Order: sequence, then C-alpha cells, then structure tokens
Amino acid sequence: MRQTPNFNGWRATVLHREDATTERLTRQLRLLGLHVETRWQPLEPTELPDIILVDADQGWNDLLPWQGVAAPRPLVALLGSEAPGRIAWALEQGAGAIIAKPMSASAVYPALVMAVSVFEERRDMAERHARLEERIRLRPLVHAAIQKIMGSHQMDEDAAYRLLRNSAMQKRVPMEQIAASFLGGPSLPEVK
Amino acid sequence: MDKAIKIGVLYSTTGPYGPMGREGRDGAEFAIEELRSAQGVAVEPVFVDPEADINRYLEGARYLLREAGCRHIVGTITSLARKEVIPLVEKHDGLLWYMCPFEGFEANENVIYIGATPRQHLLPLFDYLLPRFGNRPYLVGANYVWGWEMNRLARELILQAGGEVLGERYLPLEETAVERLVLDIEMRRPSFILNNLIGPSSYAFLRAIDALGKRDPAFLPENCPVVSCDLTECELDELAPCAGEGQLTAAAYFDSLGSGENLSFKARVARHYGAPRLVSSLFASAYAAVKLCVEAIGEAGSDEPFRVRQMLAQRAHNTVLGPIVIDRETNHAALPFHLGRIRHGHGFDIIQSQPAVAADPYLTGQRTRQPPKLRVVS
Repeated sequence: MRQTPNFNGWRATVLHREDATTERLTRQLRLLGLHVETRWQPLEPTELPDIILVDADQGWNDLLPWQGVAAPRPLVALLGSEAPGRIAWALEQGAGAIIAKPMSASAVYPALVMAVSVFEERRDMAERHARLEERIRLRPLVHAAIQKIMGSHQMDEDAAYRLLRNSAMQKRVPMEQIAASFLGGPSLPEVK
Repeated sequence: MDKAIKIGVLYSTTGPYGPMGREGRDGAEFAIEELRSAQGVAVEPVFVDPEADINRYLEGARYLLREAGCRHIVGTITSLARKEVIPLVEKHDGLLWYMCPFEGFEANENVIYIGATPRQHLLPLFDYLLPRFGNRPYLVGANYVWGWEMNRLARELILQAGGEVLGERYLPLEETAVERLVLDIEMRRPSFILNNLIGPSSYAFLRAIDALGKRDPAFLPENCPVVSCDLTECELDELAPCAGEGQLTAAAYFDSLGSGENLSFKARVARHYGAPRLVSSLFASAYAAVKLCVEAIGEAGSDEPFRVRQMLAQRAHNTVLGPIVIDRETNHAALPFHLGRIRHGHGFDIIQSQPAVAADPYLTGQRTRQPPKLRVVS
C-alpha cells in the first residue's frame, strides 16, 4: 500500500440503535477524523454520506436506499450473528467488510480501508465491464468498416484491419468510433 | 487510598530485546521505589518476566489481571506482545501502559500510549534528514510489523519528496550475518540509512557500517548516517567494539537533556543505584508511566480506567519527559522530538529539539495542532 489511507473529513453514517457498540464505534471513527451520524431509520437516497456502517443483525431491506443495484457508497456490516441469512443480507446490501460484535477498537480502521478498497475495485470493474459491453455491441460496425475498406482499397482482411487500427491509434479513439465515423462519412482512413 | 496500588510490570529481561525490557523494568521499579520512600504512597509492584516467549505474555497478563489483582500493567516492548495482551486487558477493563516508540495505527481505550508514534519520530526525523543528506535512502528493518510498517511509511515519505528508495531489506532479530546487506548498501551508495532493525541484528549492522566507513569515507556518519527511531543509551554497550559514534537516533527523551527536571531525576537515579547510570528513553518513559498512573489514580480516587483516563486528559502532568498531556480521544501522549547523535564515550548529543506534538496515530493530519501552551520546565 503506497499511500496511507486517510479518512479525515469523511462523513460516516452508522445505522444502528444507539448502544455501547455505537458509542465505541463513534469514538474510534472520530479519532480517525470522520464526522459521525448515528441513526436507526432509513437513509435518504439524496443525502448519502461518504461511508456507511450498518447493523446487519437487525437491518431490514429498506434501511438502505438501494435494492437490486450496486451499493453507491462503501458499506461496512456490523455483525454479531453467525446466521447465514444475516451474512447474506450484508452481502446483498453490498458490504465490503465486516466488523464483528462485540466490537474491538482495532477492527474499525482495517474494515474502513477494506470496504473502501472493495468498493473502488467493484466500481472500476463495473466501469470496465460497461466499456467492454459497449465495444461488443459496436463490433458489427468494425466488421462492416473492414469489409468496406477491403472493397475500396483492394486489400485483404488483415491489411484492412491494420489500416483501421492504425487510424484509431493515430486519432486516439476506439476502433468502434473510427469505424462508425468511416461508415457514416465520406472519408476513408488515411493510409500510412 | 487505604490499600496499596498494585501495578503489574510485564517486561522480558532476557532474549533479543532484553536490554530494552530491563530498562523498562528498572524504570518502573525505580518509580515505585521513589513513590514509596519519598512520597509515602503505597504501591505494590508485581513483576512478570515472559523471557521473550510470546505465549508467556498472555499467561503473564492473565496472572496479573486475574490472580494478582493488578488493574494496571506497565509493559510490553514489541507490538506483537502488546497486541497479544490487549484483548485480555480489555476483557478485565484494565489499562496497559505502553511506553515504547512504535509504528502507530492503534488507539485502544484500554491502553495509554507514552511511546512515540511516527508523527512524533519518523516524520520530524525525515524533515531533518532530507534537506541535509538527500532523498535516496536505504531502508533496513526487523522482520516484523515494526520494520515493515516503518519502512512502508518511509517509502511513502520519500516518494512524496520526489526521492527514491535504493533498497529495502529485513532481518530477524537475532540474525547477525549482515555482510551481504552491507555489500549491497556499499554498491548502491544511499544518502542515508534508516535502521529499523532490533536487537543483535541492529548491533551487528552498526558494527559492519562502522567498518565500512573506515574503508570508504562516503559511509562515515557525517556523509551517510545510520538513523533510527529506537536505538537508545541502554544498547550502546552492545555495539562494542565499535561505539556507533556519529549515528543518529530520534527519541522523546535522552539522558543528556539539560532540563532541571532531568538533572534532578538523574541525580536521584545515581543515588538509587550508587553510581551514575545512563538513562534511556525506555527507562524514563516507564518511570513516567508509573508516576502518571499512580498520580491519576490518586486524583481520581479510583483505579477504574475510565476515571483514570479522565484525570490524564484533564491537564498537563509534569514528567521527566516534560509536561505531558494525554489526548482524550486517542489515549496517546503528546511528546517532544529530540534528535541525538551518538557521542564519543557514550550517550547522545542532542542536535535538534522540537516541542511536544500530538501523536496523530493514524496520520490523519488533523491532530497536528499544538497541545495547549505549557509551562516550560527547565
């Protein structure tokens, strides 16, 4: 880990009935520099904090304002129960780390670091996934462009592909985009 | 209080970090002795020596908390041992008084931290070194969390400063075969060497660097110092036949501090042992920890950790390290920074000092505010 994780100035919401656990948790979060709000009612989707810690022992489905979609914020589950149903609930909400109850002070910082890291990894993967899906969707355009170049330039398929790829690289755009503009416009890729 | 205050003293006086454990034990013992004889406070120490066996720390702590009736334990040197003992101290709602410099990233309600964190040792140390020696260090460390985390942090600081880490090597505490490591350092020619080794490996390393400096002046301390955040007065004898002269250490206390508080402290130490004795930050910090503990218990009228912590956070307490405030949130002491250079004939010359700063154990940057203005004791 190159950079020391720092949560100074972050806003955290603890979704848990106020008790000894929330008291200790709040102390630990504060000394890490976070601003802490504790509540035991559903979160407003318009007012999401930077990180959320939720009671997975008693949490219910509408406590977190996202169902069936990826969690929009890093989430830590506070869990005393070992019941598979409760673990599953935490996973369904998108928890990236667990703090076991009764809580040990030394569990908090590692859980935050892990939840944020898992959240970022998932977000990056989702973005990558979306980009790849888009490219797959546009693949027929590339195929069509290659066919057109083969005809107009009297080239074989490999040479037409290379021409399109070089053109994309020079303009620093994806092949799908160069293929689309080529098919839609009058100009052919420049031959190098 | 009618009953004697029982304090557990949990240090290993043998094994690879025995010299440090002996200092901790002696410092605690001296404080208790002084409280008894000079102030008439009844304090009963209960000594446990785990002899550097990690399993025996847990047994020892269990004995102290459960059978011996100690609610307060001064002890542990390594982070490994501290982490081992903490769950038990939490369970019994006791307080562990930890006084070693360490790698930070911990703030437990049931621990009072008198030892310096990287904000208090490594950061000011690098502020001093980088403009003077350059930003291309070589990092060596003990093969456990202290060495790993200190070097990780050092690397982060060096990259932030636009520098480069020329090498990073780890040795077990008792490994004294340092030839290959020193050869690598000789080849790479760093600006300085950060030494996070512990015990015999550290002493062997310093001896080998001393020999290297004699062969190649580029490795004399004035050109490429070996700097550490944990080498203290109590280990200088272990470096023989070399003296480590000129090498640097950061600490919250040195024997050579010129404050009135320290001169009087050293005179009392000399009287107690029948001869002058070089006092290390470990001795002084264990002494300060016991004094703080007993003082806070007295003021609180209870040995209950919650009440004791309240007393500690309420005001600055005069100690041999200077006035100490314990942060209410982190339980860490604000500590001064001193940079010592090993001098001819043992001990350290203090070449730079900075006033106490808060520990900021998680390096959030928010706790760098100066503690409340304190009376300077000197």
